Amino acid sequence: MTTALTGLTLPSRMLTIEHARERGLKILAALPYHYPRALVRAHGFHPVEVWAPPSARPDSGAQHFQTYVCSIVVRGAAFLLDAGFNAVDAVLVPHGCDALQGLGSVLHDFVSDRPPILTLYAPRTRRPLDVDYLIDEYHRLGDALVAAGGHVPSPPDWAEAFAAEEQADSALRSLYERRTCLALDDSAFYAVVRAREYLLAEQFVDLVGTLPQGEPPRPGVPLVLSGIAADPLTLLDVINQAGAHVVADDLSTGTRRLLPGVDEPDPWLRLARSYMGGPADPTRADPVAKRVERLLTLVQQTGARGVLTIAPTFCEPEQFYVPMVRAALAEAGTPFLFLSRESAADIDAQLVSRIEAFVETLEVNR
Amino acid sequence: MKPGLPVAQIRSSIAYDIVGRNALRIQRRRDERAIRKYSPGPDSPMNPMLRCLAGVKELMSAHYLSARYAPGVHPVAWVASGAPVEVLHALDFRVIYPENHAALCASRKMSLDLCQAAEDEGYSKDLCSYVRTDLGSITTGRTPVSFVPRPDLLLCCTNICQTVRYWYEVLAARFKVPLVVIDTPFLYEEPASDHQLAYVQRQFEEELVPTAERVAGRALRESAMHKVSQESLVATQLWCDILDRSRARPAPMTAFDGFNLMAPIVCMRGLSETTRYYRKVLAELDERIANGVGAIKEEHYRVLWDNLPVWYRLNRLSRDLATLGVNIVACDYTYAWGELAGMIDPADPFGSAARAYLYPILNRSTGQKLASMKRMIADFSVDGVILHSDRSCKPYSLGQIDQRDRIVDDVGVPALLLEADHNDPRLWAEEQNTGRIEAFVEMMQSMQ
Repeated sequence: MTTALTGLTLPSRMLTIEHARERGLKILAALPYHYPRALVRAHGFHPVEVWAPPSARPDSGAQHFQTYVCSIVVRGAAFLLDAGFNAVDAVLVPHGCDALQGLGSVLHDFVSDRPPILTLYAPRTRRPLDVDYLIDEYHRLGDALVAAGGHVPSPPDWAEAFAAEEQADSALRSLYERRTCLALDDSAFYAVVRAREYLLAEQFVDLVGTLPQGEPPRPGVPLVLSGIAADPLTLLDVINQAGAHVVADDLSTGTRRLLPGVDEPDPWLRLARSYMGGPADPTRADPVAKRVERLLTLVQQTGARGVLTIAPTFCEPEQFYVPMVRAALAEAGTPFLFLSRESAADIDAQLVSRIEAFVETLEVNR
Repeated sequence: MKPGLPVAQIRSSIAYDIVGRNALRIQRRRDERAIRKYSPGPDSPMNPMLRCLAGVKELMSAHYLSARYAPGVHPVAWVASGAPVEVLHALDFRVIYPENHAALCASRKMSLDLCQAAEDEGYSKDLCSYVRTDLGSITTGRTPVSFVPRPDLLLCCTNICQTVRYWYEVLAARFKVPLVVIDTPFLYEEPASDHQLAYVQRQFEEELVPTAERVAGRALRESAMHKVSQESLVATQLWCDILDRSRARPAPMTAFDGFNLMAPIVCMRGLSETTRYYRKVLAELDERIANGVGAIKEEHYRVLWDNLPVWYRLNRLSRDLATLGVNIVACDYTYAWGELAGMIDPADPFGSAARAYLYPILNRSTGQKLASMKRMIADFSVDGVILHSDRSCKPYSLGQIDQRDRIVDDVGVPALLLEADHNDPRLWAEEQNTGRIEAFVEMMQSMQ
């Protein structure tokens, strides 16, 4: 893949999988989106994430799921059924929502000739007792990985895995911190961010270290991008062409997965505490007020003029809070636009018009 | 909560204890007489209604009336249908179930307007229609029960869906009252592991009890909890017995009767009124079975219903199906409140409840749901299955395509996927669904 602006070249998923296998790692297809990467690595797996691959024809998924199911699930299922199962050693379906619950259960119960389907249920609250539960749940996942891959991690394995993954997380964090000093347009920037979804930790660190320094193109008004994912990445070009640029994000494919580092010798507790310390996130059912606070903080920190939220159709976690988020942001004088669309679908004229109209509003309010 | 003001207590005593309950009792007797006298015409496919349906109206009216006059006298909790309500009853809460209220709105043909009111506020049409109905009711103040008191406490349990988790966050933000969350890990595999059970039990003991005690202003007494758990156990056993009576041929009731009769087990399990009432229901069903009286006149086809009902078309659909000789004799949705009976142990109220509240059908895998359906097909001698593909209930509906295929292939009975929605009438396609149901009946006919 090569971006227009920088000539940046990113390895493909297939090349990454080959590279990981050469290093003796097994491959784990990971559905969206919260899972403990260091745990996966310590058990000898490399996670490659599956987010509504645009290349996947939804037909195979539609044989299992109704029309009112989100495209991440339908396309993700189609991708796995058509080809993905052959390329991986196990599949992890974290319980991100009711639709992903259905995906995990259907793959587990009704699909034969497939690799092991692993699941993870992370708590929907952040209480002390949730940490205890999550540690046990991580142990359950660890046991499943041992059963699927046969590798029981040693203390050095854990140390190596934490070191690698935390270094990659630091690289991702630094990428955000340096975004105004990188000669990347929005689509190139998010192509790099999303490379964390499939590159080996070391590859990602190397990639971030080689990015071109310089003044980024920053057309028009600044805005915060929120929601699940800007899919396809050309959506960001539409935003730029409409006269806006992204200065911060609250995306599931972006900063929502920036978890804090935790200084704790026990690996299980370390993972659980890190997860519990993550930013407010609708898929974790954090209270509306926390979500609004996060968005307003991002707006204030960056001088953004508005918030644009993009979510797949039927995405309940995002849709539920929209009226309250809109009202709270309006009270703070921050315009808000919510776009619900099928992930990875082609960009149509109506979508372009809505983004243009929103950006015009922001320009008028400058 | 501080002791209620005398004014509130006096008002509650007069309006509910003296006037309301007696008025409802008189009305119930009138309704029973009317049912006794009423005889469906020769063209009707239905046999006379169950007399006990008058009793459920009385019970539920009293339930809402009691809640209406609760403020200042009793604490009020709004509760998700899968939540462990026993603790609240033991602390003398008055309990409102927004899902039951939403279903009531739909059966009174109010849900469309209320959904639209919520959509006007910005809530997406893709959200559950129970949610939209109730949020619309809060916004407009329109309700079929005349008044719904605001909550002092919110309790949601994720064992039915994650929707309630978000729904109750919205309610918590609106009402600014404590929200207790009982998070129940989904059971992809069974049995539930120790850490899943321990997690749920700890939430009962460390989150629900202290918060409910604080709101109620009193401590939970072990004896009260034991009594409520015992009542809950008996009620769920009775409910299971009631549903099992439809194994008889002809079945003495339809699943549509079950949808009406289920309100007390959802909203009032743990209360003695519920067990008393269900004993009466059981007695009437036994009387019907002894006399060979079925719910419909010609029971040619016995069908299993999967998923929530279509509340706004309950009577119409029941009649239309009966016209085709179809009796819906069983439903996995109504069974959900009965099949856990064996897990409740009043001697270990929290430990056993942790198990019972982890195992509702909606918190179990798609494969387990298929296994339940296969069991019911055998137990109730079912000729076909209608799977209501309910746009508003994804946890129930995802997996249905595979379940339908397995039922057809493994069991050899016809199965129909019927697209609709439990509360939003805009999603009922009349001609399409009528045609599909007729074709389904023809399929059953060809296999007899």
